[in-house]
Amino acid sequence: MKIMIPFVTLFMLSLFSSSVFAETLEDRLRTLEETLKKQQETIQELKALEENLRIQEQTIAEQRKLIEELKAEIKQARPSAPPEGVAVSQTPAAEQMQQQVQELKGQVEQVVEAQRKVLPSEFNPSIGLVGETIFSYRSRGSSQTGSDRPGGFDVFQRSVELNAAASVDPFAKAYVVANASADAQTGESTFNIEEAAIQTTSLPWNLELKAGRFFGEFGRLSYIHDHELPFVNRPLVLDQYIGGESRTDGAQINWLLPVEHYVSLTLGFGNQFGGDVPPNNVGDYRTPGGWNYWGRLSTYFDLTPDISLEPGISGLWNPKTQDHGGPFPQPDGNTFTERERRLVGADLALTWKPLRNNQFQSLTWGTEVLYSDNRYDVTDPSGNALPSTSVPSWGLYSYLAYKFHRQWTTGFLFDWVENLQNNKAKTYAYSPYITWALSHWNQLRLQYTYTAPNAAAAAYGLHSDNAVYLQWAWIIGSHAHGWQQR
Amino acid sequence: MKSRLFCLSSIILLVGVFCMGVMPAHAAKIRVVTTLTDLADFTREVGGDLVEVHSLATGVEDTHGVPMKPSFVPMMNRADLIIVVGLECEHAFLPALLEASKNPRIQIDRSGYVNCSKGIVPRDVPKSTEHYAGDVHPYGNPHYTLDPVSAKIAIENIYNALVEFAPQDKAQFTRNRDAYLARLNAKIAEWEREMKPLRGVKFVSYHEHWPYFAARFGLDYFGTIELRPGIDPTARHIEELTAAMKAQHVPIVVREPQFPEKVPKRIAEQTGATMITLPIMPGGVPNTETYIKMMDYIIHTMVTAVQSRK
Repeated sequence: MKIMIPFVTLFMLSLFSSSVFAETLEDRLRTLEETLKKQQETIQELKALEENLRIQEQTIAEQRKLIEELKAEIKQARPSAPPEGVAVSQTPAAEQMQQQVQELKGQVEQVVEAQRKVLPSEFNPSIGLVGETIFSYRSRGSSQTGSDRPGGFDVFQRSVELNAAASVDPFAKAYVVANASADAQTGESTFNIEEAAIQTTSLPWNLELKAGRFFGEFGRLSYIHDHELPFVNRPLVLDQYIGGESRTDGAQINWLLPVEHYVSLTLGFGNQFGGDVPPNNVGDYRTPGGWNYWGRLSTYFDLTPDISLEPGISGLWNPKTQDHGGPFPQPDGNTFTERERRLVGADLALTWKPLRNNQFQSLTWGTEVLYSDNRYDVTDPSGNALPSTSVPSWGLYSYLAYKFHRQWTTGFLFDWVENLQNNKAKTYAYSPYITWALSHWNQLRLQYTYTAPNAAAAAYGLHSDNAVYLQWAWIIGSHAHGWQQR
Repeated sequence: MKSRLFCLSSIILLVGVFCMGVMPAHAAKIRVVTTLTDLADFTREVGGDLVEVHSLATGVEDTHGVPMKPSFVPMMNRADLIIVVGLECEHAFLPALLEASKNPRIQIDRSGYVNCSKGIVPRDVPKSTEHYAGDVHPYGNPHYTLDPVSAKIAIENIYNALVEFAPQDKAQFTRNRDAYLARLNAKIAEWEREMKPLRGVKFVSYHEHWPYFAARFGLDYFGTIELRPGIDPTARHIEELTAAMKAQHVPIVVREPQFPEKVPKRIAEQTGATMITLPIMPGGVPNTETYIKMMDYIIHTMVTAVQSRK
């Protein structure tokens, strides 16, 4: 029994060990198999990595080779600085490129150098010069026509007009127009400042203020310079009722009404109004009544894209003219002296200007009617004062201008005016004309004018007159297209 | 007393009604005035429904002869932006209109003045501005929008101006611009294909409108019927031009519709060339209301004229 127990124990242990041993072996085999499998997988991965490494090494080798080749090319394109005293030959292409680079560099340096220069004219305003010569023949002498030019054959340098304009600052611009013309009697040049004014550019509420010497805005043509008129001479009514161009020393404000339709209102005041007559005789003190006050209201209508209508009304009042224009002797021996100036006008421009051919074709009808009701002191031939009187007088001009070519315009002007001091004295004038504009800056105009005063006007010494004018006007330098030239 | 009060009240009421009636309501849209119709088309494309665009020209005018109508003045007075070709293209009418408009926003070099020539390399810059050379443009030929590639620079300038004015709408302006440029680029490629067979073809025109167009499409701009810019041809100039055209076999005479037909037609008859009428801005001839339609018309007419001679 005692032997049995160890034997059984040993047997049991053997059995147990065998089974354990058997299980361990299987596991171990399984483990070994798995390990082997893993190792095989690892070997495969290592082989793949080895292949990648080989490919990368090959790529690196190829890139190294390419880099070396590029380096060699660059070295060839850029010749290295030669050792001192040794000349290096370049390829023709490189030489040419270098030469072009040097030339270009030279040109750039010239431009930069030029821009560094400060020219004395840098701050000059825009400057232009207008010349206007009038060749004429009149059948009557000046005493019979009332003209300040002689009758018969005449050459008159009416305008040598220098104009300059520039900005003053962000708030205003200024301009000057100085004119030299030949004196009728002596032929000597008389020089005068026609305009010299400052004009605001940035007032609020659509306002614009002008001050200085300028042509006040009255009617349509009174503030146009002589050489810019659509005919040779200023219409009779503007000459007599305004006094030529509407020159004044004063101030004028313009308001563009804040509405969708174009409406413009201008109001002004100043010494004198009219450049061709002497100013008011002020004496030693001018009251506000000694000033001229004027205004104009104008608007515009596009009747069709090609047809437009531009009407306006104007007024002028000088409460105390103080001998404006000097004494006016009358045929009956009385003398009129102006005491109050009152003038109203209505103007109209109807224009057909087809948009497609607007530089080659247009038809314009312009008309202005003026009514004067000046008050005069009257003295008899002995110098005794007579009752003062107001003289209502009418005058008008009307013209038709047909542009049938870019260079050619033909037209007809009709004048009718009653004498300011005697409305029974009337003068008519008829003026056909033709204009040849060789270019924008060079134009010739041929005009015939027949002037016919009636019997009452003849009492002033006026006679009918036939006149032919040839006007030649030219421009050099700067020339702006002003608003008035529209 | 009562009547005075009534009168005063009436006056105040009338003034108030007047002010309310005439004061422009706050504009929801950007008010843009352009000088020419191609700029108006570009602005509408880029601005879309955020802009209200008016063009001073209608398309049939000479670009240098747009009339100075007082009816333009209130429109310019209210404008937020004015868009111009630049290079002094508008010198004959714009400065006076700008002054009459009394709008400080849109004066030259102010924020509302948009010069589309910024970035354009001008062609034919004159050596002299003396009048013997005619009515020259001192900064170079201004007709660059007839080259569609240069027109893209104008479009970019318009885009930049709109973005600067209304930065809150940049995204929409960008979408509109990109969409339009995509269409325009596709058309440019098409036009270049169509014009390729015309490379080297010589032509004359009445006025010097075409140097940028000729350079873009490889044409030979032989000369102009005008003696000088703005100067009508003399008999001698017509004779010399005709002789030169015959010697060089110039096949095409371009007449812009704002010039009379008589002289170009006579030159074409004497030289055996084909006269064609080409617009220089949208609306110049019927069915060319947009820039793309206008260029389609120009390209098609030019190609047809040359091909019909073969």
